[in-house]
Amino acid sequence: MLPRHHASNGYPRHKETYSISPHRFQPRTTPAAIRRRHTLIFRSIVALIVCLFFFFVWPGASILPVLSLGLLSSGEDFQLETVRYYDLSNVQGTARGWEREERILLCAPLRDAESHLRMFFGHLRNFTYPHHLIDLAFLVSDSKDQTLPLLSQLLEELQADEDPKQPYGEISIIEKDFGQKVNQDVESRHGFAAQASRRKLMAQARNWLLSAALRPYHSWVYWRDVDVETAPFTILEDLMRHNKDVIVPNVWRPLPDWLGGEQPYDLNSWQESETALALADTLDEDAVIVEGYAEYATWRPHLAYLRDPYGDPDMEMDIDGVGGVSILAKAKVFRSGVHFPAFSFEKHAETEGFGKMAKRMQFSVVGLPHYTIWHLYEPSVDDIRHMEEMEQERIARENEENERAERMKKIKDQFADPNSQWEKDKNDIQNEAMKEKKEKEQAEAKAAEASRESGADAKKESKEESKSDSKTESKAESKTESKPESKDAQAKAQ
Amino acid sequence: MGPVRTLRRSSPITMVVGVVLIITIFVFILSPSSSDSAASQLRKANAASNPLSPPTSPFRKQSEKANGKRIPPPVVHYHMNNVTSSPDPVGNRETILILTPLARFYQEYWDNLMKLSYPHELITLGFMIPKNREGNAATAALQEQITKTQKSGPMKDRFASIIIERQDFDPPLASQNEAERHKMENQKARRAAMSRARNSLLFTTLGPSTSWVLWLDSDIIETPPTLIQDLASHDKAIIVPNCFQRYTDSKNKPAERPYDFNSWQDSETARDLGDKMGPDDILLEGYAQMATYRTLMAYMAANGGDPRQEIALDGVGGTALLVKAEVHRDGAMFPPFPFYHLIETEGFAKMAKRLGWSSTGLPNYKVYHYNE
Repeated sequence: MLPRHHASNGYPRHKETYSISPHRFQPRTTPAAIRRRHTLIFRSIVALIVCLFFFFVWPGASILPVLSLGLLSSGEDFQLETVRYYDLSNVQGTARGWEREERILLCAPLRDAESHLRMFFGHLRNFTYPHHLIDLAFLVSDSKDQTLPLLSQLLEELQADEDPKQPYGEISIIEKDFGQKVNQDVESRHGFAAQASRRKLMAQARNWLLSAALRPYHSWVYWRDVDVETAPFTILEDLMRHNKDVIVPNVWRPLPDWLGGEQPYDLNSWQESETALALADTLDEDAVIVEGYAEYATWRPHLAYLRDPYGDPDMEMDIDGVGGVSILAKAKVFRSGVHFPAFSFEKHAETEGFGKMAKRMQFSVVGLPHYTIWHLYEPSVDDIRHMEEMEQERIARENEENERAERMKKIKDQFADPNSQWEKDKNDIQNEAMKEKKEKEQAEAKAAEASRESGADAKKESKEESKSDSKTESKAESKTESKPESKDAQAKAQ
Repeated sequence: MGPVRTLRRSSPITMVVGVVLIITIFVFILSPSSSDSAASQLRKANAASNPLSPPTSPFRKQSEKANGKRIPPPVVHYHMNNVTSSPDPVGNRETILILTPLARFYQEYWDNLMKLSYPHELITLGFMIPKNREGNAATAALQEQITKTQKSGPMKDRFASIIIERQDFDPPLASQNEAERHKMENQKARRAAMSRARNSLLFTTLGPSTSWVLWLDSDIIETPPTLIQDLASHDKAIIVPNCFQRYTDSKNKPAERPYDFNSWQDSETARDLGDKMGPDDILLEGYAQMATYRTLMAYMAANGGDPRQEIALDGVGGTALLVKAEVHRDGAMFPPFPFYHLIETEGFAKMAKRLGWSSTGLPNYKVYHYNE
């Protein structure tokens, strides 16, 4: 191999060597030649770009792989994480979950709930459990109002909040309509007969929500209705502290005064009774026992009725059926298969069936009779009628009062007010009395003048006497006046 | 020997040709084929922005803000009205979740999985592995195969997402060998634990976009590559192929025998037996002590029979089982307690029936179980 410089200049080293192309005259490159070469380069580059364009872009491929020579796309694939590993023994749920950073899934099924959403978001902002550990999942189904747009708007605002403590974890809005099935049900919508199918439909919605939103990293699941009006900010920690598999607070609702001020609301949290079990045996496979209807007298002890406003809020009570207003459950309960039966499970459906099924799988199901949250009061049809009657009564009473006031005014105008006359008379009488007193004094003075004529000494004495007399009189008067006052004071002290 | 040309000033044409060549070579080496790029685009489109997202789709590795602030996850809408499970799942780009409770890892199982012709970018795999020594070994073996496929395998072989979960309770039996597993007294506890494992796996992975769920046991080592398309084409809520086992008979010839006896049609005798039982007792199939006289699908296979023949079933086996996701979403799960004296997959068929979904069996469509 020759050294590089031998070949590099292109000229033979030795003149003796035979060469086909000997030295020859090469003209200096002219500007014209340079220009020609430049145009050639320019044209070929343009041709190249056009070729590449047609090769990649024209058939519909994106321009990105061309620019990056295909490196970027595979690079992006490397950025994708496709394998996830979870150890479920880390997400069992403990009494002090916030210290172990345990994640909660908050589930809220929504249907035509526009009017309650703002109140619900108020509650969300107030939760003391670390927000980034709470994942929110909403199921919006068959809504005819503005629930969905309002929900998205409020959630966007919440996630974009300036305060780093406000935004929540994963947020899913699930849209799914079950409407078809409602129409298929021929039973009437209201009353006892419709309860079973209504509960089954709600159970279905809950199951769809849970199965779509539950993840392997959740330790707890919290079910919350949006129409809760008042609840402690610390409710998550309060319920968690009990370290039970399923736990519910007592749910009451405030009432207008004429209805008694307050009332138990959620009757679905109860303890099983012998009567109910016997009743269940007599019913057919698809029947669903619902509480609060005369058709099924179950004589069960209800969590709601056991409330004592001054009772220990930490007191626990074992229950078999649970209400769905506010349920905190360990995620492992749902993982092992407990759900809201959309069929008659041991003669129960939805949340009551959920409690029954949890019990069947040996999970602890507990209610707190003295820890109360307050459901929104929405007047029923009867209440509204009653309220209308009351309103009319109130208006009637007001009218009556107005009339009376007017009548009084008329009387006042027509007859002179006797009060001023009385005052005048009183003053006159007092003046009269004063005059008399003065006259008496004057008369006494006259008498004294008359006696002065009898002797100067006597005059002096009498003057002194009259002075001392008036003094003793005034003293006696002050004494009699002060006595009743002191008595009053004593009475007050007593 | 030609003239030695000057290399100092190379001609622009050579330069251009060179550049073009280099570009084309790079493009052909690095850019995926057209079907691959479509798949990869689908993957990218489905990818979520954070690890809290549904595990059925991949996610982009999180890039935290420079100042270490937490970036709140976005508000995500899922339109579940648009999730279909139709007879043409490939045409409708329906996603499928293949769930496997894994006690032992068999290479044949993984190879069979790789051979499935259903587009892999629509498949998510979910595994539930117990936390014991055997489980650790299985996890290690599985992860090795996963790395091979997901990191360095060809694009079209890569699955959309893979979820590995470790069980949060101990398996009731120490031994997983076949004889011990199949003892009658062990069945209830074993199958209750199996139900819990199945439910845990199902309800944590289902997510909002899954159309189908395929239950495939870790010891199913041979299926037709078109398994998913074939089963889905029947458009049934719950559909089971017949599970057989290959063996060599006494004359050293390959033969096959029925394996899974949990797919059956109910009988009067079984119902009567059930009525006489206590509420916590279960009916079992395939044990001489408990003759139920149910019609077993395992014995209904005919030589050369039509693989598309359908029969209605009352109980199903879980070795291979295709379920529409909506059945599970409605709440049909594997009862870990006696449900109408049935447990696990058989109880699942019963619960699905209570929810209005019926089960179908394909007696002449076979999948094969591992032979120990």
